[in-house]
Amino acid sequence: MSDREGGSGGVPPTDEDLSLPKATVAKMITDLLPNDVTCAKETRDLIIECCVEFIHLISSEANEICDQESKKTIAPEHIIGALKRLGFDSFTTEVEDVLKDHKQQVKDREKKVSKFEQSGLTEEQLLAEQEKLFAASRARFQGQGGQQ
Amino acid sequence: MKNKNKQTKFPVARIKKIMQKDEEVGKVAQATPIVISKALELFLAMIIEESSKVTVKRGAKKVEAYHLKHAVETTEMLDFLKEIVESVPDPSAGGTIDLEAENAEAAAKRKRGKGKKNGDTEGGGRKRRKKKGEQESGPDGGDVVEAEAEADEEEEDGMDDDEKPGPSSGSGPSGWKKRPSEAAWREDAPFIPR
Repeated sequence: MSDREGGSGGVPPTDEDLSLPKATVAKMITDLLPNDVTCAKETRDLIIECCVEFIHLISSEANEICDQESKKTIAPEHIIGALKRLGFDSFTTEVEDVLKDHKQQVKDREKKVSKFEQSGLTEEQLLAEQEKLFAASRARFQGQGGQQ
Repeated sequence: MKNKNKQTKFPVARIKKIMQKDEEVGKVAQATPIVISKALELFLAMIIEESSKVTVKRGAKKVEAYHLKHAVETTEMLDFLKEIVESVPDPSAGGTIDLEAENAEAAAKRKRGKGKKNGDTEGGGRKRRKKKGEQESGPDGGDVVEAEAEADEEEEDGMDDDEKPGPSSGSGPSGWKKRPSEAAWREDAPFIPR
């Protein structure tokens, strides 16, 4: 799974210390608070614990829903169902949007790949095409006075 | 304005690991942690909002742990967090918890209970002195451990060696029932049963 994370993920902690990155959470907190209010360090750590607990809560509920549907893999739809069941209904709209976006991105990526597959050219032909393009740009390059 | 740079996101791989810490959780679809990441953002926003409301109401500039606790206790959606904030002290109680004193109290209660059941105050004494050994990492610490080992085998004598100056052995029931204060032990004061 490719990690498209906002910042670098860093070294993953050992299983027992699994938590969310302090810096990331600290930044988000600062962004969320009004300008004249700060957050105590103790509170930040507590909030991280709460977030981890939230993940466990949702995952557990989603897992149940997944079982009830006799599925083996927890799907995003199960998460949405879990949110509704646990009283986080207000989250579902935005979460569903994110899901839609993600599905669209996946589709776009697949389209890009299939464009090449659908061109009907074999790999050798595609390579030849590529060489032609290189040669053409090389010619242009040298035509500009041979700057190397 | 809030949310100037809404680019920081939770690490998706980390979320998946946290999910799978639960043994019941099996396979997770690729999109699932991404969706949880969004839910987490919204959750964080909510918990911050509720907490900062308390902060502002109390006229503070910093969101303290107690503000979070209060928000958890007054928001139904945050019920599941009650255990996490349980240990946060209320400001009226002076703020800090003296963990050692708390532990000692709990141990004393346990010990008293056991002593009564077994009728074996020696055993109770042994337990207590082990506690002392843990808390005071001074010279007594090592001795107590040894005494423990000895006492296990020989029952009587080893234990008395480590007794603080004062009434020797104190193995009679009355001696052990009255527990000296923690402060007395710490300051190396003699054991004077009341």
